[in-house]
Amino acid sequence: MWKEYSSNYIKNNRSSSLSVIIASFISALLLSLLCGSFYNLWKYEVERIELEEGGWHSRILGELPSKDLETIKSFANVEDAVVNEKGQKGTGPTVDIFFNDKKAVFSDTLHIAEQLGIPQEKIVYNYELLAMYLIRDASDTAPRLLFLLFLLITLAASFSLIVIIHNSFAVSMNQRIHQFGIFSSIGATPKQIRTCLLQEAAALCAGPVLVGNLLGIAGSAGVIHLSNRMLGSGIAGRHKASFGYSPVVLALTLLVIIVTIGISAWLPARRLSKLTPLEAIKNTGELQLRHKKSSRLLSLLFGIEGELAGNALKAQKKALRTASLSLLASFLGFSLMQCFFSLSQISTRETYFERYQDVWDIMTTVKDTDVDNFTETAAVQALEGIKSAVIYQKASAKRIIAEEEMSEEMKSFGGFAQAPADYASQTEGGWLVNAPIVIMDDQSFSAYCEQIGIIPRLDGAVILNQIRDVTNPDFRHPVFVPYIKAPDVGENAVSVLRQSGSNEETAEIFVLSYTQEVPALREEYATLDYYELVHFIPVSLWKKIKGQIGGTEADSYICVRGREGVTLEELHTIQGKIAQLVDGKYTIEQENRIQEYELNNRQIQGMMAVFGAFCILLAIIGIGNVFSNTLGFVRQRKREFARYMSIGLTPEELKKMFCAEAAVVAGRPILISLPIVVAAVGFMLKASYMEAGVFMAKAPYIPILLFMLAILASAALAYYLAWRNVQKIRLAEVLKDDTML
Amino acid sequence: MEILKCEGVRKVYGFGGNQVTALDGIDLSVNRGEFVAILGASGSGKSTLLHILGSVDKPTGGKVIIDGTDLSKLNQTQAAIFRRRKVGLVYQFYNLIPTLTVRKNILMPLSLDKKTPNQEYFEKVVESLGIADKLDAMPNQLSGGQQQRVSIARSLIYRPALLLADEPTGNLDQKNSREVIDMLKLSNRNLEQTILLITHDEKIALEAERIITMEDGRIIGDERRR
Repeated sequence: MWKEYSSNYIKNNRSSSLSVIIASFISALLLSLLCGSFYNLWKYEVERIELEEGGWHSRILGELPSKDLETIKSFANVEDAVVNEKGQKGTGPTVDIFFNDKKAVFSDTLHIAEQLGIPQEKIVYNYELLAMYLIRDASDTAPRLLFLLFLLITLAASFSLIVIIHNSFAVSMNQRIHQFGIFSSIGATPKQIRTCLLQEAAALCAGPVLVGNLLGIAGSAGVIHLSNRMLGSGIAGRHKASFGYSPVVLALTLLVIIVTIGISAWLPARRLSKLTPLEAIKNTGELQLRHKKSSRLLSLLFGIEGELAGNALKAQKKALRTASLSLLASFLGFSLMQCFFSLSQISTRETYFERYQDVWDIMTTVKDTDVDNFTETAAVQALEGIKSAVIYQKASAKRIIAEEEMSEEMKSFGGFAQAPADYASQTEGGWLVNAPIVIMDDQSFSAYCEQIGIIPRLDGAVILNQIRDVTNPDFRHPVFVPYIKAPDVGENAVSVLRQSGSNEETAEIFVLSYTQEVPALREEYATLDYYELVHFIPVSLWKKIKGQIGGTEADSYICVRGREGVTLEELHTIQGKIAQLVDGKYTIEQENRIQEYELNNRQIQGMMAVFGAFCILLAIIGIGNVFSNTLGFVRQRKREFARYMSIGLTPEELKKMFCAEAAVVAGRPILISLPIVVAAVGFMLKASYMEAGVFMAKAPYIPILLFMLAILASAALAYYLAWRNVQKIRLAEVLKDDTML
Repeated sequence: MEILKCEGVRKVYGFGGNQVTALDGIDLSVNRGEFVAILGASGSGKSTLLHILGSVDKPTGGKVIIDGTDLSKLNQTQAAIFRRRKVGLVYQFYNLIPTLTVRKNILMPLSLDKKTPNQEYFEKVVESLGIADKLDAMPNQLSGGQQQRVSIARSLIYRPALLLADEPTGNLDQKNSREVIDMLKLSNRNLEQTILLITHDEKIALEAERIITMEDGRIIGDERRR
């Protein structure tokens, strides 16, 4: 009998069934897409960490006797322990430990160290990898929010999707309270009613949930494919993402949907069990307001129809909450994202691409190589098609600036008074500041000397004599003043460099010139530490002093400039030639300016696509909720509309009321968002010292307007469809129908 | 003066073999200021007749003229405006708008026409119906009897040509039923309001000055009592 009743109900109430089918399909699709994409993002991050850092969980620095290695392997929770000859930078070999139960990594590693008598300082944990399994330790102070952020976004979106399914069911099921009241009055038990509702839910949702899930999985594979295509191998060090899917994810997605549907179907049955059959029969689920409310603005704009719409919306507040919040979050998020990325694009273009347009075309990082050991300098510089090639390496050192050396301009803004202790510390002889060294190949250094108008020599340094006015926080328009007072350059002009971390070791080098002009390298100076005094020296000089100073970075660089108006193809050819020259001798990574510009744009577009997709998802949730409400409310609000019509509300006036409702549903999130967006953009402009006019000229009006129109149009469509259904109401029948009391 | 005229009104539901004749050639004439009761058992067609007179339904055949307007010629919008201005409908289950206060419910037909109420008349109506102190309440805060009075006040606010009441006491206890009938009589007498009351209760029908009896969609009796 139940089966017969349910199948009849489904057949005869197609619109109500359809809204449940659509809601369960869309929710299953989006939930599966979201969970699948999230799983793959997580998988990619884990793979990246394993490739870059290794898949070990904890690591013991230094070598261990094989007996100790066997002891580690014999621990119950240890999956494996291997000697890593390469180890960490500067520490030599290590023993990498892999655990079965990752949660016990901190306690078990300490236990191992205790047993083997290894001091705690020699233990290192792979915090980044462990954080991807939500395993954290108090001693790791880094935020590591990526995974948590993924998880929160997924949970928030999943919750919204669950609410859609639930709402769609709630609307459909509430309509049934009356019918089930009748069943109850003739002796149906709550269990029988519950079974009937669950059977119905299963019949309606099984197919859409399954198809939605499968399409969601296919969609997440598409997302991975698209991200590989968009980002490709353009980013130095990026590995290709491979699609993967875990049965756990499928099971979890299905479980979440099934539980949601089950609860949504079960709730009306529970509600019914609390009502007497008579109360259930009298149930209309009609919109009610407990207290007097006024909708002044809507009354003013739309007249009495506005007031009716306003009050109806207030009565539906709970049902429309998901729609309101999702639309607000999506529009706010989308607008802020558009503004943020526009601002960021303008900023990157002004501070990076436009500033470095003429200083580099190809950058080659020669891994783990000192510039004085690089043997291909002449060959690279002789390559056809290049204007210049500078081979350089960076090193760190310190230098003391005596009080009398400081320029008057620097003194005028307080000298080192505002300098943080990390950057400038007071010593007996003056202020100890960082003195980064840029070691250039001899030919390039000579060219640089000529560029600044001095006779090229390979036994001295050129010092960048400028410091930023620290009292002016506008980083976009910085003011530079001389650092050192009236530099005295001559045979006796020297700079005493000290080894970083040890004041004992010094090297006295001859100063060729103080200048405010820098060589054409893709480098920024004194951006974090305003007080650093940069030294440019030739590699010949470095060979003489490196014993005293040291402190070089691991890699060297080749900064190549092509001809004026060089094309991407030409740059690719040059890159190929450089790679050929160093092939087998050095490990390199290459970037080129045009590709990086395009890649930067693609990355921003990619980020905007991901974030935009999330906003669109939220908008779909909101609009989906509006649709499920409007499609469902025709039945729920039939009596209300009949009442309006019975006292003389014309179809046109009813339409006006619907317009007012649609305008509020779609317009309110927009009106709330706009002032927040304006305030946020104002704050961002102030913080980034960007002129409002510059931003306004490039502001993302069109995407925001399109998004706004899409929300308005979707709400309008939902209400239009509802309006069409309302027109089909037969007034006399509704008024006659005592079951609709 | 004749305010309502029905000529051969027929209403048939369903198609083919499933046809049900709800009204079968109704001829009826009501003069201004009359208080008429239409008496009949369940299924006699009295509610169908009321819906047709209230322009919420259309007859299958025949003619209905109220205050000079032929209802069969009205489109949806015209019918709605007619309902707003020419007839006041009182239902068994009040049909108040649950999201509006009592005052706004009563003034709704005027508000739809963007008209301001005649304050004197408004006060007279609410005071005579005993709901002057309930104007700011919401419908669900009132008893059944009070809700029915609000419904009557709403039907009277536009001074309609015809007040149609469909079993207005059907959901009320004896005391409230008595009061509602008294209100209708009062409005008939004091405001010269034409009233057509539909009931299955003979005792209630006896309160009217004319009783029309219906059976199987036909008028079988028309008795003037005063």
